[in-house]
Amino acid sequence: MVLAVSVDSPYTHKVWSEGELSQIVPGGLPFPMLSDPGGRIGTEYLVYDEENGVDIRGRFLIDPDGVLQALEILAPAVGRNVQEMIRQVKACAYVRENQGEATPAGWEPGKKTLKPSPELSGKVCEIWSPEMAF
Amino acid sequence: MTLRVGKTAPDFEASAYENGEIRKIKLTDYRGQWVMLYFYPGDFTFV
Repeated sequence: MVLAVSVDSPYTHKVWSEGELSQIVPGGLPFPMLSDPGGRIGTEYLVYDEENGVDIRGRFLIDPDGVLQALEILAPAVGRNVQEMIRQVKACAYVRENQGEATPAGWEPGKKTLKPSPELSGKVCEIWSPEMAF
Repeated sequence: MTLRVGKTAPDFEASAYENGEIRKIKLTDYRGQWVMLYFYPGDFTFV
C-alpha cells in the first residue's frame, strides 16, 4: 500500500487528482493522498521544511508489523528512483520470508543471497564479487 | 518516538483523499501490509 503525504488539504488533493493526475493515470491514483497541514507528520519523519512549509521528498518502507525497514530523504532538487524503491521492497520482503538470509549489494530477485554465519566471515569474496553490485 | 530502522514507525492520523472521498486514515490501519509512506513537496509539482 502506498500512502502519499503532502501539506496540501484533501480538497487540493481532490482537484489535482481529478484534473491533471487523471490525465496521467487513467482512473486516478490507486492509493490515498494524505493531508499533513503544518507538517505534523513530516516533523516526526524528519522531512518537514519549516522555512518553506513543505514536506520534502522522503519515503519510508514500513513492514506488516509496523516496523520501519528502509528510508530515503532527498534534497529538494533531486528526484527519486522508483526502480530502486521497488527493489528495496522486494529485498525487504525476501529477507522477512527467508529468515537467516541476507541480500548482498546489487541483489535483484532470483540472484544469490548470503547466509551470514561465522563460517562465511572472511569468505564472502568466494561467493560474491564487486561486479555483482552493479 | 524514535525514527530508526528496526523500530516501530511513528503512528499518525490524517485526512486523506481517495476515489472521490475524504476520510481519516491511521498508519495502524495498515498492519499486515507493507506500506510505502511517500512524502512530496506539494500537489501540482513534479513528484
